[in-house]
Amino acid sequence: MTNEIHRHLDGELPAEALAEEDRETVDEWDRMVASFRQSAPHGSAPTWLEQRVMAEVELLPERGVLNRLFAWLVSPAPVRVSPLAAALVAAGVVFVLMLPGPGTAVPEPGASTSSAVEVVYVQFLLNAPAASSVAVAGDFTEWQPSFTLEDLDGDGVWSGRVPVRPGVHGYMFLVDETEWTTDPNAGRYQDDGFGNQNAVLAVGTSS
Amino acid sequence: MMSPVERTDAQVVRDVLSGDRDAYRFLVRRYGSVLQGHALRMTDNPDDAADLVQRAFVKGFKKLASCRDPDRVGPWLFRILANFCKDHVRSPRRSDVSVTMLSGALRGGSDPSSDAEGAEIRTRVWGALDALTPEQKEAFVLKHVEGRTYEEIAAVMDMSVAALKMRVHRAREALKGLLEEYA
Repeated sequence: MTNEIHRHLDGELPAEALAEEDRETVDEWDRMVASFRQSAPHGSAPTWLEQRVMAEVELLPERGVLNRLFAWLVSPAPVRVSPLAAALVAAGVVFVLMLPGPGTAVPEPGASTSSAVEVVYVQFLLNAPAASSVAVAGDFTEWQPSFTLEDLDGDGVWSGRVPVRPGVHGYMFLVDETEWTTDPNAGRYQDDGFGNQNAVLAVGTSS
Repeated sequence: MMSPVERTDAQVVRDVLSGDRDAYRFLVRRYGSVLQGHALRMTDNPDDAADLVQRAFVKGFKKLASCRDPDRVGPWLFRILANFCKDHVRSPRRSDVSVTMLSGALRGGSDPSSDAEGAEIRTRVWGALDALTPEQKEAFVLKHVEGRTYEEIAAVMDMSVAALKMRVHRAREALKGLLEEYA
């Protein structure tokens, strides 16, 4: 198939712009797609689905207190604040910020006083052919899966460059937004305190 | 008390996470048929499809706290199901369906309205999909059989439109290659 055919099938190119040979291919393709659509299986959920799912759900152990606390913490909830209370809190914050500090931090001998933070870009790789998404999270992201890896060529290897500050960091991959996965190719691992192993990444400075 | 239809997805998720596990049935009712339809088209087997949908809902319940956007719990459940479907497609089975069955249907000319021929064509075209990788099959089904837009699929599958297009293009090429090989 030519690139023009793909663009036409993607709705980006009108049929009139195609060469005669490509139009024949498109006609053939349309017949094939029609066959798929005509014969596609359809059906609604079986009547027993809800009953079986709920029966299985009922058998699951109660969520732990920590899990429920976590869920409560991460679930958005409306907060009502009166304008007066908001103004008082804001004034208090400004007052505290204007107080002189207990002392000025003195840089240690040899430490850089520059405010610029050195960042090293680290290439992360995970072979996950069945995955639909892979993100990386670690203490350098405060364990938020904010960096998404990509599999542009569809070969199942997900990769991406992530800025990391020098130091030793624990990290994990989050596959399909649900499965925390330890990097099988990490050089070092550490216990995360919850029965899993975090991969460990050591990033040195460039100097 | 709010009726099921009045509860938003986010409210249901919040209720379930707060301990009202019975509220989860509203998500099963809301998304059961959509998930079943996709599972059917991926497996071509109603029993397998229903089993996968059931497993997806149970896994969704277990992992509900990790759903980052409760307003989009439907696509999140769909993604769980889609992965189950791909694993199912990847598992060795239905080896009796040969790609050589492709030729007639892909050339066209038969009348699918005839029961016998329709059944034969159905076997051929859906057997053809098994020659694709699970990812290609999923992309082809979502795009060309279910008729979803690239943007819609990319949002559900949490991948870029560019990467998705490449996957669909490869699925087309693969099917076209089979057509030429067995015509």
